Amino acid sequence: MNIEHTPIISLKNVSFSYNQQLVLQEINLSLSPGKFIGIIGPNGSGKTTMLKLISGILTPQKGKIQIFNQDIRTIPRKKMAKIISMVPQESYITYNYKVKEVVFMGRIPYINQWKGETILDYQISRNAMEKTDSLRHAEKGIHQISGGEMQRVYIARALAQSPRILMLDEFASHLDLSYKYEIINILQEVLKGEVKCIISVFHDLNLASYCSDQLILLNQGKIEKIGTPQEVINNHTLKKVYRTKTNIIQHPELSIPQVIM
Amino acid sequence: MPQKKAIYLASLLTFFILVPLSLSAWGNSQDGLFPITLIDDFGTEVTLIKRPERIISAAPSNTEIIFALILESKLVGRSEFCNYPPGVEEIESIGVMSPLNLEKIISLEPDLILSYGGFQTKDIPRLRELGFKVLVIEAESLAEMLRSIELIAAACGIPEKGRELITDLQERISVITNLSAIIPEIQKPKVFTGSSYETIWSPGNGTLFHELITLAGGLNIVGNQQGWVPISPELVAQAEPDIIIVPSGIMNPDEINKMKNDIINRPGWSQLPAIKNNQIFTVNEDFFYRAGPRLVDGLELLYEIFNKTRKE
Amino acid sequence: MKSLIKPEKNNLYGYSNWRYKAIFIITIGFLAILIIGFAALNFGTIAIQPQKILSIIWQHRTDDSLDLIIWELRIPRLIMAMLTGMALASVGGGFQGILRNPLADPYILGVSAGAALGACSAIALQYITGLYLVHILPIFALIGALISISLVYLLSRKKSHLPMADLLLAGVAVNFFFSAIITLLLAISRREIHSMVFWLMGDLSAASWQKVSFIFLPVFLGTLLLISSSLELNAMALGEEEALHLGVQTEKLRLRIFFIGSVMIAIVVSFTGLIGFVGLVIPHIARLLVGPDHRIMLPVSALAGSIFLIICDTIARSIIAPTEIPIGAITALVGAPIFIHLLKRRNETDEY
Repeated sequence: MNIEHTPIISLKNVSFSYNQQLVLQEINLSLSPGKFIGIIGPNGSGKTTMLKLISGILTPQKGKIQIFNQDIRTIPRKKMAKIISMVPQESYITYNYKVKEVVFMGRIPYINQWKGETILDYQISRNAMEKTDSLRHAEKGIHQISGGEMQRVYIARALAQSPRILMLDEFASHLDLSYKYEIINILQEVLKGEVKCIISVFHDLNLASYCSDQLILLNQGKIEKIGTPQEVINNHTLKKVYRTKTNIIQHPELSIPQVIM
Repeated sequence: MPQKKAIYLASLLTFFILVPLSLSAWGNSQDGLFPITLIDDFGTEVTLIKRPERIISAAPSNTEIIFALILESKLVGRSEFCNYPPGVEEIESIGVMSPLNLEKIISLEPDLILSYGGFQTKDIPRLRELGFKVLVIEAESLAEMLRSIELIAAACGIPEKGRELITDLQERISVITNLSAIIPEIQKPKVFTGSSYETIWSPGNGTLFHELITLAGGLNIVGNQQGWVPISPELVAQAEPDIIIVPSGIMNPDEINKMKNDIINRPGWSQLPAIKNNQIFTVNEDFFYRAGPRLVDGLELLYEIFNKTRKE
Repeated sequence: MKSLIKPEKNNLYGYSNWRYKAIFIITIGFLAILIIGFAALNFGTIAIQPQKILSIIWQHRTDDSLDLIIWELRIPRLIMAMLTGMALASVGGGFQGILRNPLADPYILGVSAGAALGACSAIALQYITGLYLVHILPIFALIGALISISLVYLLSRKKSHLPMADLLLAGVAVNFFFSAIITLLLAISRREIHSMVFWLMGDLSAASWQKVSFIFLPVFLGTLLLISSSLELNAMALGEEEALHLGVQTEKLRLRIFFIGSVMIAIVVSFTGLIGFVGLVIPHIARLLVGPDHRIMLPVSALAGSIFLIICDTIARSIIAPTEIPIGAITALVGAPIFIHLLKRRNETDEY
């Protein structure tokens, strides 16, 4: 955890309860720019909740969250949408909008209702679709494409939002192997641009290990460990959190840990 | 019982006093009857500048009064349901009673509209807004019916004809009431009348039907309740009516028999005196639901029915 | 048909600002209303020639009975139908948006039951008290509607939130409850049952310039306000969370649409009774014609609603003249087959 730049996201003593149930407690976190952050942990450990807290959808009962050194509570919703965009795991779209319309909705935070959109908005949307290889589906209805195609469309929409922080919730669950690699490439590309931070929730530990510069391991609402994949994914820690024996090997080409069944 | 007699006498006197008294309320000019300001049954003041020549009647009761006053030559429009007297079909129909067809009414260019009240009340303000003269006539008793004749006759500039008609009707009414007045209470038949649907609606105190039954010498089994009331078949069975009056618009004898059979076969009613003695009478409902001169026909009809029953 | 309605300027993602599309469509819509409106003026109990109608419109004289029929009866009624259709269709579209439910209609959030209870109470009270209440019946209906709207709001509010599911459920509950009271009223009011049922079925026959002046501004303003939320409604279609992430304040949006829509409908319904089907079906037809983008779909919905109701009203008052069929029956008779057809089409092709 080098502290080269000031942290772009920081959580101080954050606790969150839902229906009197404590979901996250005493979370202290400081994330530096330029990194791909992965959040891992067993079901119910609070992974998605942490994403929602950072994006401001949920408000913690205790503690302070800061984005780019600004208290999240002082940032209006619309401004937030220009900073953070989120790719959901799955969602149901009520009407059969076209793919290009769905991606274009990513520009909503920037468009004035009455003035309408500008050609820049269209170009950004188009770029986002090109990057995610969903341009060829542009005219199709969103209900008519496959799960994998839809996931790429969601990513395109999140990119069209011109975010500085990109958040994803299990982005690869429906993707073919080839697309997995492509998307990871795209994500790593944008990390070099205006996107200063990518945070993703992972169920797949190996994918997490492959993508992330930094991992946050959650256990029952608390941070069990933060560190590089090498530091976090080891037999001892995983056994403690997942309560099963694990076998960890080194990836043959890259120096990252992989869990094998 | 002397108490009841007194009440009958009192109501008779009311007819003879109230009606002529109210006459003085109409009309406010000595020579030449128009312009005239009248107060209709809803309390609205209506001023007629000149004698009406084009009258529209929006209810059968008003139509029958118009014909009884021999004013039909001035009638240019009548409701779809006006069916008496013969000759009424010649007059153009303005459609159903509610909602009133304003286009039709306007196109007939009436200078007086006789409305009914009830469901027509929402159309009346509109007609008045458009400049039409509308009198709302809503009678719920014999006395009020006679006053309606009064009002219409005055509005049309023939108060004497009105008085004539009223006197005739009053005489016929007093004949019946006199005859009934001498019947001892215990000899009066218990009468039940009501709708024949699943839920029976029966006319209680304050309704026209109740008044007619009472004046004709009968005892209405729901006379102790106010207005039209829904009653259970059990209540009817308990009351043990001697006569069942079935008002209906159907005149076909086969259909009438079917109706009678339905009543006879109604569960729990087999022991009713009316059914055991076959005292079920169908009557033309137009005599009893329309506040027009034929109410008196209805009164006389009821008296006949009750009289026969009593003798047997 | 689709390419006619949506003139795409150039390629795949051609830059055609939605405003041009919208202006084009709205202009066509208004023209259609004018033409169909004029055609509607030709129908009625009394036959009046088109040339006569034109001359009456051009030169309004107050002494001619035909003139009276056109200016005091048919034209206000036409405008009433137009405004009512516009209100119902745009609020229907708005509610379908905030509730994310294609089956939502303008009455689902409690307006109808309250207005109905208010109106029926006025009718019953008139009989009981003998007071002439009919011309202030709209006030009763409006008060009733406002009460039920407030009830729905209070029931569904959780602290400072307005959750969507709760809004829907509260609306349904309030509707049920008030309907029960109305049924009770109907059961005990023999004489007035006819008037009550007629009101419940919707009735434009009492339209007048005065009434038009009451609903004109609320309907136009309300429709404009609804349309101004189009982008946010688009976002809502993606999902509540997605909309939040796009910067939409979903709770405020729901509140706004709920209140604007409900009050607008309350005002309209106070005068016209409950006309069904328009608010449910027309938004779907609009989507079928121009797609689900609310910025175009809502204006089209409003215009289509106007046209639909003008046509239905014309049928209602002239098909068996001089008797009038309640307009609620016509909208349902015409609307139901259209709706069924849409459903079949949706299942087959998943058009929108």
